[in-house]
Amino acid sequence: MRDYWLSKLFFDLQTPSAAAEYRAARNAVLARYPLKPEVLAAIENNDVAALAPLVNAYLLRFYFLVIDMPEEEFVKRIRSTGAAGKAFHG
Amino acid sequence: MANLVGIYAASHGPLIVRKWDALTPACKSAITSAFDELGRRINAVRAEVLIVISPDHWVNFSLDNLPAICVGVGETHDGPPEPWLAAFPHKQMAGHPPLARHIVEHAFGRGFEPGVSYKLALDHGFCIPLWKAGVAPLPAIIPVVLNTVEPPLPGVRRCHEWGAVLSEAIASFAGNTRVAILATGGLSHSIGEATMGAIDEAFDRECLQHFASGEREALFRFLDQRMAAAGNGTAEVRNWLAAHGAAGATGARAFELIHYSAMPEIYVGCGVVSWNKP
Repeated sequence: MRDYWLSKLFFDLQTPSAAAEYRAARNAVLARYPLKPEVLAAIENNDVAALAPLVNAYLLRFYFLVIDMPEEEFVKRIRSTGAAGKAFHG
Repeated sequence: MANLVGIYAASHGPLIVRKWDALTPACKSAITSAFDELGRRINAVRAEVLIVISPDHWVNFSLDNLPAICVGVGETHDGPPEPWLAAFPHKQMAGHPPLARHIVEHAFGRGFEPGVSYKLALDHGFCIPLWKAGVAPLPAIIPVVLNTVEPPLPGVRRCHEWGAVLSEAIASFAGNTRVAILATGGLSHSIGEATMGAIDEAFDRECLQHFASGEREALFRFLDQRMAAAGNGTAEVRNWLAAHGAAGATGARAFELIHYSAMPEIYVGCGVVSWNKP
């Protein structure tokens, strides 16, 4: 099941100005979204495995590009989720 | 009636552009030669309108509103918003409202109810093939967004039928406008999920064989059974199905493979094809 506000946050961060603001003042941006505590914690911990089931895979990947997680690190983390059976396949 | 003068499909992996400078010479060469041939063919048919079928990768649509099919009926479309596509040569692209509206009206008479948009931004799915193929001069573009990124997705038979509807709409459009279709995306790839980077080459090659065979029920069965396990991006084969449906609706066209290779460097089973008149 998708988390609407998490998806909305990731969607909004595609705008370069929003991404820049997020990098500069993450908490201020997060405060504008009514995120559940566990979702907020997953964001704060860069917890790829926890976020993956809650948001579309393309937006997930985009988000970690926005926060400058190296591609190799993201790939390593997403592969280690072992969530292939849970992730959406089109 | 307007003339359907060409039907094509091509992959659109973002790393073709985003990672271009880091790709190996062999990978660059394969991509360049495949897209050069695609461009040569598209330019040769001198289309006045190019219908481009692609997903929207969260640029125009979000969980707020996620149409299964959306036709861009605007006078113009914006170029790609992705920062890494800033060098794409068209900040705006002309549309073709009369034919776009005709497609929508025809679709409603055929049991399809696509959404419409008067202002779309065309992301990498639309623009990378146009750019890498060197399509010039750029025809008027009618973007057709087919949702292949977030469920519920249209079924494979429905996508094929949608292509037939496009072809019929072109054939019933007054005048002698030259129209081509370009489907983008696929083949197998996996993005942002546990199998990220995986390419199912066996799936891709079997899929291409099914397209080439012309046996549509076998193709549908194969995709129903295998597409879901070949990676989330593989869903974009639905766009190819629409092109295939268009090719079969108004006279048989032969499927021709221009290029296929599994390209781990860009995370995509990279295919470029055309459907040719006998």
